Amino acid sequence: MPDSQTSGGLLRRAFRPVADLLVSPAVFDFWVSRFNRLWSWQRPLARVIARHQPGPGAVTLVLRRNRHCPRPQPGQHINLTVEIDGRRLTRCYSPHSLEDGRMTISVKAVEDGRVSRHLCERVRVGDVLELGTAFGQMNTSKEPHGRWLMLAAGSGITPLYSLIQALAERGMPPRLDLVHWAQRRSDLWFEQELRELAAVHPGLHVHHVTTREQVTDDTIAHGRLDAALLQQLVGDVSGRPVMACGPAGFIQTAQALLDPVAASFQAEAFTPPVFTEAADGEVDVTLARRGLTLRLPRGQTLLAALEAAGIRPDSGCRMGICNSCACGKRSGLTHDVHTGQTESEPVPALRLCINRAGSDLVLDL
Amino acid sequence: MSNRSRALGPEELARFGQELDDLRHRTVASLGQHDANYIRRVIAAVRWCAFGGRALLFVGAFVPTLLWPAWSIGVLLLAASKILENMEVGHNVIHGQYDWMGDPQLQGRSYEWDIVATSQNWRETHNFRHHTYTNVRGLDDDIGYGLLRIFPEQRWRPFYLFQPLIAVVFALVFQWGVAIQNLKLGRWLAGRTTTAKLVRQARPVLLKAGRKLGKDYLLFPLLAGPFFLPVLLGNMAANVIRNVWTYVVIFCGHFTADAETFPKECIRNESRGHWYLRQLRGSSNLSGGRWLDLFTGNLSYQIEHHFYPDVPANRYAAMAREVREICARYGQHYNTGSLPRQFGQVVWRILRHAFPSRPPLLPATG
Repeated sequence: MPDSQTSGGLLRRAFRPVADLLVSPAVFDFWVSRFNRLWSWQRPLARVIARHQPGPGAVTLVLRRNRHCPRPQPGQHINLTVEIDGRRLTRCYSPHSLEDGRMTISVKAVEDGRVSRHLCERVRVGDVLELGTAFGQMNTSKEPHGRWLMLAAGSGITPLYSLIQALAERGMPPRLDLVHWAQRRSDLWFEQELRELAAVHPGLHVHHVTTREQVTDDTIAHGRLDAALLQQLVGDVSGRPVMACGPAGFIQTAQALLDPVAASFQAEAFTPPVFTEAADGEVDVTLARRGLTLRLPRGQTLLAALEAAGIRPDSGCRMGICNSCACGKRSGLTHDVHTGQTESEPVPALRLCINRAGSDLVLDL
Repeated sequence: MSNRSRALGPEELARFGQELDDLRHRTVASLGQHDANYIRRVIAAVRWCAFGGRALLFVGAFVPTLLWPAWSIGVLLLAASKILENMEVGHNVIHGQYDWMGDPQLQGRSYEWDIVATSQNWRETHNFRHHTYTNVRGLDDDIGYGLLRIFPEQRWRPFYLFQPLIAVVFALVFQWGVAIQNLKLGRWLAGRTTTAKLVRQARPVLLKAGRKLGKDYLLFPLLAGPFFLPVLLGNMAANVIRNVWTYVVIFCGHFTADAETFPKECIRNESRGHWYLRQLRGSSNLSGGRWLDLFTGNLSYQIEHHFYPDVPANRYAAMAREVREICARYGQHYNTGSLPRQFGQVVWRILRHAFPSRPPLLPATG
């Protein structure tokens, strides 16, 4: 991180061991947040400094980060945490318009999506959100050359928009075609911004497509992703580096169509977790700290299944009261065997002795 | 004692357990913003009381005419802060009661409380051993803490003749007793563990103790400069008040006249219903109202706490009404009383069982 190279960073590092002895981060955060809610010992926090609507049922939030926030690269995602009804929930979004200390996220409200609806309906200017790590490999080379193709569906435009913004500053490849699909014209986020960029950069060609609403405007095509439409919009696609972002179904279609002919194919798909009530069969459980993936039965508690596989996590009461076996769950579905309830969120403390796997899992073990 | 409760058949016991489980599920399903706000308010109270308490100790030191009034209130505020942090925040958070919030600063597995005992040792001696094997002789170290004879079932030794005195000293330094509980010094003295192992286990305890001592008896007194001593004594007084208070509350939880202990055989193949029953018979509540609930960390609902150690303690008061009603329907004695009454019974046990005594002849609990 560039932050730690500055003199402030050096000072911090030098004093950290001493300071760690004297103040606990929780106490420090309590007092400094009385003065400024962005101040914290180590938590990456961001304040909403502006909000507007990129389209119906969506919101764009401009965030001012504190110094602990990672600086996402264009095209990366960042984890964003909000508190809803006392519970912290984390989702990842692709920030764009990355400037010094600022970034912007655009979010579409998903039906039954607790976080997206919270961000769209309840978050106001001045609210403080917590950020997490930035990740994702979708990136362009430093000096891109050749003929590029980017495909986006719906809010999948955000990482690609961020990449195009970066390219506009660093230098566009000789040709870059962006095709953006959305159900209606109003869902074509950044339509105006992208057209303005295209007006300045002759290499950039932006193609907008609607799938549901038929638009009379001849700048906007109509139809789903297929070979014919692609041929009509961007011509020959073979030999091009391709980047695609959108729902899983869209990415599958794009991959089948382009992977065999493209120079390279990078894609990011967003998929909601698949619910299943099945109590039989096996799932892949990844123990992230051990770097190990095991095939475990769904029907047993995780503690029993892990022990049967020769792993011995800490454990105690084996009945869900002492919390000794709790460990973080990074992803996947689990069922509580006492209440029968399903947990689809990542949780910091999953009790292995009273939960069974509902899907593939990643655990902090 | 068991003769105050009806014996339950296996089916009745299963239904009893089911009703208590249902209450748990209903409560857990309704957790939300209200509970998150509650624990954050308590944490704010902890911080402000500590700030006010330490500030007043300083004022007393620098303004001689105000020394005693400011010092006294400062001590009380600092003690209140420590009590709230240890009982309503630390103890409850370490149980994982607020894990559901996902707040990294309120996680049971990582929270470090403001007392010399390390959270790690506490998770083992308390969360696991004491809560799983509550009042089971030979498994729950909290029965007399290896120092006192509270129940006639414990074998008498002449050493226990000194226990009225030992109990008082233990109260004054209670946090140190908790800190070394998991080091099992008795085993080391008897030559059953090696010195190397003891040193290894003692390291984190000593490190934490050093930090706590440094803060209360060096850092803050030094900040007061020439008034080192009043600040040091004030901090010491606050620590002693906290020690005595936590001792009183905790002893009232399992050592009252009606509290029972159990033989090891009793937990073999124990059903959920029987586990609840054992928790009920081994625990006792304190009745006293909202302020008592707050300053005991809701251990005034010791029975509910033992039924539901991982449910946020601010819910115990409401759950207690239903628990009492369920216990009444199943003819089970619900052990509760005022603090003076319950602690009086504890004191009587400490005095009585310093001398040889024999368990009353009663049918085995079922």
